[in-house]
Amino acid sequence: MAGGGSGDGEEPEFQIAPMIDVLLVLLIFFMSSITKQVARVDKSITLPVATNATKRDSARDESIINVRWDPAALRATFTFEDTAYEKLDPVVPLLAQRQSVSKKHRIVIRGDRLVPAEQIALVMAAAAEAGIADITFAAAPR
Amino acid sequence: MSRSRHRRRHSSEAAGDLGFQIAPMIDVVFVVLVFFMSLTATVKIEAELNSKLPGTASTSTSVEFPDEQTIGIDVNGQVLLNDDPIDAPNDASLPKLTNALLRLKQNADAAKTTLLVTISSAPKAPYYRTIDVLNALAAAAIDNVTFTVDDAF
Repeated sequence: MAGGGSGDGEEPEFQIAPMIDVLLVLLIFFMSSITKQVARVDKSITLPVATNATKRDSARDESIINVRWDPAALRATFTFEDTAYEKLDPVVPLLAQRQSVSKKHRIVIRGDRLVPAEQIALVMAAAAEAGIADITFAAAPR
Repeated sequence: MSRSRHRRRHSSEAAGDLGFQIAPMIDVVFVVLVFFMSLTATVKIEAELNSKLPGTASTSTSVEFPDEQTIGIDVNGQVLLNDDPIDAPNDASLPKLTNALLRLKQNADAAKTTLLVTISSAPKAPYYRTIDVLNALAAAAIDNVTFTVDDAF
């Protein structure tokens, strides 16, 4: 194996080059593993648990709509690409434009577990208005 | 530090050439690495439950009507299978509903018909209850699911 020593009795030195190799590999691994996920998900949302749900296919062409719920004000807020909306009317043309570019486009609904079902139905209605039939509900696996 | 490295450093300093500084580079790489590691720890793995919205389709042949079942969710989270209450309102696993759906799926497969399930939720019913029902449907491998909000519940 490389670095096993020459056997001439000298003390082995600390090899800096392989260490940098390993560090850079680790760095690239962690950078690639977080990718777009951190930027797109809303951490204020507590997802409902679904143990039988399938693993998320994040490679697909998708638009994520977050549905926050304020239990004190009993008010839902929709967020799409870092912009908060009280109503989804302005989002529909954006979704329709995405659908026109890719026919396999889907909507991922990330709703807070306590949000009323009628708010989720509003997101589905917006998707239908934009011509998108493929709907996915995000859930926590445990 | 070995004697040969000391000698190399002295000679480069004497020449005024600092060379490539490895120590600050490792410092920076470590900081960036720790940053991304801590960021990765905050990312939660998510799963998904898929559904298709109903739509219109033109056809020239006769249409076979699917075997349709309705699952209701009232405002308290009580689940109803074809208007009959099933499982407790606070039971997230819905074991009776899952078993009933498994039987319906087996019957539909045996009869070579399509099993279509409509989830009809009360407008103010909590969303997690819909996910509980979708989870039971996923356990029974039923993927023809529609979701609607109905004031009747």
